[in-house]
Amino acid sequence: MSTSIEGKSQPSSNTSSATSARTLALPEDASVDGHRIDALLGWSHRFEAGMAALALGWMVVAVWRFRNAKRAASDGGTKRSRAWVFGLALSTFLVVDGALLVGSEGYLRDVLWNLQVPATDPRTVRIEINAHQWSWEARYAGEDNRFNTPDDVVTWNDLRVPAGVPVWVQLVSTDVVHGFSLPNFRVKLDAIPGRVNQTWFRAAREGSWEVACYQHCGTSHYRMRGELRALSQEAYVAWLREAGRQAVQAYDVDDSAAHWGWEWKAP
Amino acid sequence: MSLLSLDHKAVARRYLWSGLGFLLLGGLLALAIRWQWAWPGQPVPGLAWALPESRGALTPPTYTAVFTMHGLVMIFFAVTPLLFGALGHFVLPLAIGARGLAFPRLSALGYWVYALGGVLVLASFAVRLGPASAGWTAYPPLSTSAFTPGLGQTLVTVAVLCAGTSAFTYGLNFVVTVARCRAPGMTWGRLPLTVWGLFFASVLNVLFVPVLAAATVLLLMDRLLGTQFFIAGAAAVGGGGDPVVYQHLFWLFGHPEVYILILPAWGMVGDLVAFFSRKPAHGYRLTAGAMGTVSALSGLVYAHHLFTSGMSPLLGRSFMVLTLLISLPAEVMFLNWLMTLWRGSVRLTSPMLAALATMVVFGLGGITGLALGAVATDVPLHGTLWVVGHFHLTMGAASFLGVFAGLYFWFPKMFGRALHEGLAKVHVLSSAVLFLGVFGGQLAAGYAGQLRRLYDPYQYTYLKHLLPLNQWTTVCAFLLGAAQVVFVVNLAWTLRRGRAAEANPWQVGTLEWTCASSPPGEGNFTQVPVVLRGPHALSQPEVLERLGRDWIGQAEVLPGVARQDTAEDAVPASEGTVSTVGRVT
Repeated sequence: MSTSIEGKSQPSSNTSSATSARTLALPEDASVDGHRIDALLGWSHRFEAGMAALALGWMVVAVWRFRNAKRAASDGGTKRSRAWVFGLALSTFLVVDGALLVGSEGYLRDVLWNLQVPATDPRTVRIEINAHQWSWEARYAGEDNRFNTPDDVVTWNDLRVPAGVPVWVQLVSTDVVHGFSLPNFRVKLDAIPGRVNQTWFRAAREGSWEVACYQHCGTSHYRMRGELRALSQEAYVAWLREAGRQAVQAYDVDDSAAHWGWEWKAP
Repeated sequence: MSLLSLDHKAVARRYLWSGLGFLLLGGLLALAIRWQWAWPGQPVPGLAWALPESRGALTPPTYTAVFTMHGLVMIFFAVTPLLFGALGHFVLPLAIGARGLAFPRLSALGYWVYALGGVLVLASFAVRLGPASAGWTAYPPLSTSAFTPGLGQTLVTVAVLCAGTSAFTYGLNFVVTVARCRAPGMTWGRLPLTVWGLFFASVLNVLFVPVLAAATVLLLMDRLLGTQFFIAGAAAVGGGGDPVVYQHLFWLFGHPEVYILILPAWGMVGDLVAFFSRKPAHGYRLTAGAMGTVSALSGLVYAHHLFTSGMSPLLGRSFMVLTLLISLPAEVMFLNWLMTLWRGSVRLTSPMLAALATMVVFGLGGITGLALGAVATDVPLHGTLWVVGHFHLTMGAASFLGVFAGLYFWFPKMFGRALHEGLAKVHVLSSAVLFLGVFGGQLAAGYAGQLRRLYDPYQYTYLKHLLPLNQWTTVCAFLLGAAQVVFVVNLAWTLRRGRAAEANPWQVGTLEWTCASSPPGEGNFTQVPVVLRGPHALSQPEVLERLGRDWIGQAEVLPGVARQDTAEDAVPASEGTVSTVGRVT
C-alpha cells in the first residue's frame, strides 16, 4: 500500500516550469483528448474578441462622432434598421453559439459522455475514488480485477495511471460534496454523497500532475490536493503488483470501514 | 421622514440607506478575500480588533465565513435592495403616474422583514463559530449541522429567508402596481424601459423566490429537526435524501436571480441611453420584447450550473441549447442600445457615463459567459475564477454601475438637491476602469486554472505563478474601494449643502420629472397626469418648432395641436373619458 502524501514544498509537478511564463494560458494539457476543448475555447475566444471589439468600438465611435451633435434623429429606428439589428444579432448568434454548440457536441459524443471507449478497451484502468474532507482515497481492483477484495490497492492523495490507456474513474463522497478535478487533463466531476459519478481520461505522456478539489467542502478545502502520476505501462504494472502484494498482507477482515469499495457499475 | 410612513418614497429611502450600508460591508468582505489571495495568511490591515488571536490575519475558518458572507450580503442585502428596494420603490409609481404602490402596507412590511434579516446577518458575526461558512450556495450536506454546526449558519439561513420574503412582497407589489395603477393613457407601449425591466424582474421574483424559500426551509428542517431531505446515506449505499435535489432547487432560483439583479439595470440603460442621446430609443418594442424573452428563458437554463454534477447527457444537452439561446435576445437588446446612440446628440452626463459603463462591463461579462454555456468548454473553466470574473462583471459590476446610473439620475428627484456632477463623473469612470481591472484579473487567473474559494491557492504547484497577477488584481480592488470615498463625500456634502436641483435637470419627458415636484409630496402628483405619449419623445420636430426645446413631457399638451402623439410607437390617445387604470389603448 502506498500512502505518500507530498509536502507542499516539494517541487513534484512538472507543470510549473511549463506554464510559468504564460499567465494567460490554460494549464498545460497532458491528456490525449483535451486539445479538442482547448481548440474550441481558442475559437470561441476569437469570436468573443471580435464581438467585444465590434460592440465597444461601435460605442466609442458613436459617442465620439455624435457627442453634442447639433441635431439628433427623431425616430426610434425604421423597419429596415430594426431588421438589421435583428439580422445582425441572429447571424452573430448562429455563428458564435453555433460553433460552440457543434464543437461541444462533438466532444461530448466522442469523449466526455462516450464511456464506450473505456468500456471496450481491454487495457482500461478502473479506479474507484472516495472523496473525504479533505483527501482523495483511491481504490484499484488489484490482480483479481474485482473491487472490495483483499488485494485491492488503496492510496491516499496518490493516483497512479499508465500513460496512453483509458483511465475510468467512478467517484463517490462519504461526507460533503467535493469536486474531483484534473486541471491538466480537462477533467471535472462532482463527488456527491449517495451517488456514483463516472468519467474517463487518457494521459498523453508520463509525468506528475495535480488533483484539485473545486467544490467548497469546508475549512481545509484548499488543502484537498492530490497527485496524479502517469507511469509507463511496465512501471505501472510493477507498482500495482507490489502494492497488491502488500495490501494482501495488511488486509484486516474486521476493518469494515476500509471496505468501502463497490461492484463496478456498468456505464 | 418617519420610519412608520407607508409612502413608497419613504420606504425607498429606508432601503437606500440599508442597502448602501450592506454594500459597504460586502465590499469590505470582498477586500479581505482579495487581500488573502495576494498576501495569504498575512494580517489584513485594520482587522486586528476583530481577529485578535491571529492579529488580523484570516484563518481558514474565518476565510470561509468571509467569502460566504460576501456573496450573501451583496446579493440579498445590498444589490437587490438597492435596485428594487430603493430605485424600484422610488421610481416605479412615479414613472407610471401612480399615487403610490398598490399595497403600501405590504411594501412597508417588506422593508421590516428585510431589516430583520439584516439584523440577523449582523448578529451572526457575533455568535460562537461565526456566521455562515458553507458558501453562498449553502450546498448540503456541508451546510447541515453535522458539518457546519454553528448557530451563525442557521441565523444567516433564516436571514436569507427574510430577504426572500421581502423580495417576494415587493415583486408582487410591483407586478400589481404596473398592471393596475398606471395613469390614464399610460399604455404598456408608453412605459419607460426602466419600468419594463423592473416589471419583468418582479415577475421573476414572484415565480422563483418561492423556490428558494422552499429549498431554504427544507434545509433548515434538515439542520434543526433531523429530517433528511438533502442528506444521503453513506456513499454508494444510498438511503435518505439527495443533495442534488437541493442543487437543482437552488439554481432554479439562482439563475433567474442573476437576471433579477440585472433586468432593472438593463431597463435603466435603455432609458438613459435614449435620454442622453436626445432621441427615442431604437426599437423600443424589440428591446422590451428582448427583456421579456430573457425573462421567459431565465428559468429554463439554470442547470448549466450543474454541468459537472454527473447529470444525464439528455439534460446536459438540453440545458446547453437553452443556455446558448438566451444570448440572442441579449444581443438584440445590446445592439438596440448601440443604435440608439447612433445619430443622436450624445451628452456625457454622470448618469449617461454610468449607463455606458454598465454597457461595457455587461457586454464583457456576457461575452465571457458564452464558453460557460457549452458543456465541453465549461469543463476547464467550471469552478474557477473565470466564472467568478464573468458573473461579477454582469451581476456585480453592471448591477453596481446600474444602481449608480439610477442614483445619479434620480438623486435630484429623491432629495431635491443636485449632486456635484464632476465628482459623480470621477466616481463612475474610476469605478468602471477599476472594475475591469479587478474582474479582468480574475478572468485571467481563472483561465489559468485558479479555483474559487481557495484559502491559499498557492498550495497548488500549477497555480504558484499566478501570485503576481493576483496581487495586481488586489491592488485594483483596493483602489476600487478607495474610489467609493468620492461618492460618499459627494453624497454627504450634497445632502448638507448641495444646491437645490432644477425642476427637470436632465430635460426629459417622463412623468416623475415633468409632473411632480422634487422631492414629490405625499401622493406624488397634485393631479394625476393624463399620458399622451411614450417616454422618449426627444428631438421631435414639431416640439422643437412650437416649444423651442428638444423634449416634451409625457403628459404635456403640445400647444396648437389637440393631443397629438409624437413618439413613433405611440397610438393616438382616445379623446374624452379615459379609464383611470389606463388600459391598453
